[in-house]
Amino acid sequence: MKHWARVAVVLCMALVSTVSLARELPDDPFQSVMWESMAERFMPDGEIVFDERVRVMAPLSAENQFHVPVTVDATALEDVVEIVAVADLNPIPLVMSLRPTEALAFIGFRLKLQQTSPIHVGVRTGDGVWHVGGAVVDAAGGGCTAPAAAHGNSSWMQTLGETRAYAGRDDDSTARMTLRMRHPMDTGLAAGIPAFYLNELAVRNDAGKIIAELDLYEPVSENPTLTLKPRVGPEQMILHVSSRDTEGNTFSFPLDVPAATGL
Amino acid sequence: MKRKNTMVAVAGTLALSVAGFSNTATAVDVSIDEIVNDQASGEDIVSYGLGPRGQRYSPLTALDKDNIKNLYPVWSFSFGGEKQRGQESQPLIKDGVMYVTGSYSRMWAIDIATGEELWQYDARLPEGILPCCDVVNRGAAILGDKVFFGTLDAKIVALDAKTGKVIWRKKLGDYEAGYSYTAAPLIVPTKAHGPLILTGNSGGEFGVVGQVDARNPDTGELVWSRPTIEGHMGTLNGEESSMTGVKNETWAGDMWENGGGAPWLGGTYDPDTALAYFGTGNPAPWNSYLRPGDNKWTSSRIAIDPENGEIVWGFQSTPHDGWDFDGVNEFIAFDMEKDGETIQAGATADRNGFFYVLDRTNGEFISATPFVQDITWAKGIDEKGRPLFDPENRPGNPAESADGKKGKAIFAVPSFLGGKNWMPMAYSKKTSNFYIPSNEWGMDIWNEPVTYKKGAAYLGAGFTIKPLFDDYIGSLKSMDPITGDIKWEYRNKAPLWGGVLTTEGGLVFMGTPEGYLKAFDDETGEELWKFQTGTGIVSSPITWEQDGEQYVAIVTGWGGAVPLWGGEVAKVVSYLNQGGSVWVFKIPEGLASN
Repeated sequence: MKHWARVAVVLCMALVSTVSLARELPDDPFQSVMWESMAERFMPDGEIVFDERVRVMAPLSAENQFHVPVTVDATALEDVVEIVAVADLNPIPLVMSLRPTEALAFIGFRLKLQQTSPIHVGVRTGDGVWHVGGAVVDAAGGGCTAPAAAHGNSSWMQTLGETRAYAGRDDDSTARMTLRMRHPMDTGLAAGIPAFYLNELAVRNDAGKIIAELDLYEPVSENPTLTLKPRVGPEQMILHVSSRDTEGNTFSFPLDVPAATGL
Repeated sequence: MKRKNTMVAVAGTLALSVAGFSNTATAVDVSIDEIVNDQASGEDIVSYGLGPRGQRYSPLTALDKDNIKNLYPVWSFSFGGEKQRGQESQPLIKDGVMYVTGSYSRMWAIDIATGEELWQYDARLPEGILPCCDVVNRGAAILGDKVFFGTLDAKIVALDAKTGKVIWRKKLGDYEAGYSYTAAPLIVPTKAHGPLILTGNSGGEFGVVGQVDARNPDTGELVWSRPTIEGHMGTLNGEESSMTGVKNETWAGDMWENGGGAPWLGGTYDPDTALAYFGTGNPAPWNSYLRPGDNKWTSSRIAIDPENGEIVWGFQSTPHDGWDFDGVNEFIAFDMEKDGETIQAGATADRNGFFYVLDRTNGEFISATPFVQDITWAKGIDEKGRPLFDPENRPGNPAESADGKKGKAIFAVPSFLGGKNWMPMAYSKKTSNFYIPSNEWGMDIWNEPVTYKKGAAYLGAGFTIKPLFDDYIGSLKSMDPITGDIKWEYRNKAPLWGGVLTTEGGLVFMGTPEGYLKAFDDETGEELWKFQTGTGIVSSPITWEQDGEQYVAIVTGWGGAVPLWGGEVAKVVSYLNQGGSVWVFKIPEGLASN
């Protein structure tokens, strides 16, 4: 009886595996030793293709491994559902994911690098295909395991969530918003400091409809700096930004987008 | 060139199916009825005190006086890191998972079958927290799919019981003014609001005002709040409800504004009377000459109606306290059979050295008996429950000294650490006796002038603690609440700082600072079993049944207030080493009693 059960399990697994095997993994142009693992963990299901329309702009060499600026522009792709960024050789690879429901497939952010690493960005389109782009950034070590600069000051918690933000327009139908929020983004890897980071951020319109949703993770730089491009009408409007950290602190603020007539 | 990714695909499938299975196996859902009836069910522990009355009595009998010698450790779990001190926590048990809190506002979920960690939560504490008496936490609460506990920066946090992720987190007080939180939250049923989660605040050494808060467990929103100090206003549903007492009735001038009375040890709940009982801390400052009057409701027990946060009755064990006789100790509801009558009673062993029995429906005094030796501060307790003060043994007024800087020092028994401190006693439904973890010590104490400053210690007193006897300080006593007779006593060299557990199997469990978890005969006090855990014990043991076997668990890790405040006591405790772990025990299959 037991024996038969085992055979059945093996058969089932074989079947499922065959289905999964339909997915073929292309070789990585950035020659990352972690590519297979990154694709399996963070870009599950669906075909994977490297695609030049996913433009990942990052410095060749990081001037500061705590703040490496990255811009992702996948606006050349139609019907983008999700954008996922990973830093392959970081101790915690997953950096962020964006669901740009009513925003362009575009994001600017900064990340911490533990060492020289490929950065892979997967852009999933409505048909389930992952379009992947990337960059390799040379960096000195230690970006993820050093305490946040904020901890040099014992009153850092008082300024938690303080925000500087700006919204303007690229054109009649596109706004551009940039924000910078005070948060230590502790990775949990610095001695004696538990993980503590901003992990959710959403942008809504006046009616409460989602424009863009972000999941942020430990490798996002201290005091997260983000740029997004919401799709908007020509009239004046307010973008409502709300975010939450791993301790349940919530931060929210409105951002005014001027009417297009002034352009 | 493309290649196939066989191994990865198989691993992915396996992981998915395993996750699917464990999801159904560990769905957490604790109802308010389970909490109210927690004492009757041996399979889980979903409240602090093994039932909301806090009797710390288990109906389990598989483990008894005959087979206790076979009790052996199953696993030990380390809290890890460098934060190894002051573990005062009582774990909760539900569906094979242990939820346990540790020092520095941490919490773990552990699979009891394997001793493996399911998740860990570390609160991100700010710099500059001000816990008066070590970085302890005494335990969590559980309801629905959430676990709740308080953090040292005076916040309460609700975590997803399955993942440890934060669902909500609310501020109980301003940590920079000295507020903190160390007790286990109390969950009570109400008709008006559904279940509520009740908390008291800490910070009596910093001149905070004591307050009991009730929140909605789903959202953390405040439903009512009740300050413990006369003159302060309570709230209900976001509006002012009623003032506590009458302003300036038992307080002179404006001293009530920073009057203390912190209910820092949390509370108990009695389903029969539907009342929540909270003990309140010492008045601030310690120097009693600065605050003439009884200073209500400091050093008291108050009964609160959970429906609206109104105080139904109060009983002040130490009016106009001048010795830091915090009245926070737990009030345990029990039914007392006396002269053929059943009295709805409640008992509490006070810091001031007296064991009080009250009518729990109205707070009326029934009796008071000393449970420690050689009490000096009072000559006794009168028929209304008020102490007969000995004026010679109240520390002198500094204003009457030559330079006005230091009043006359006196020797008072018990010391400010109390005949009994925070460590909870147990009540056995089998023997109808209380088991009180107590300490025999006194103190030299004197008063000094002091003014209130935010975030600074607000004492106006100096002190040093002295043991009464050369060979022991700790004393576990079995007391008959009807006669006040002490049935037996176990003496321990170091001061006791951990809670007690008793069972229908006839056992009394308690840990010692020397590192032993011990089991005693509930009728004779004979020591039947002990196990050395490797670090001091200052927490409360639990027992439960899982897969047909009876388990016992204790959190270990020396710390708490004794090493911080100990005075001469340091001689018997300074060598004790810190730690941080949980030990779980059971008896081998086939040796349990049926």
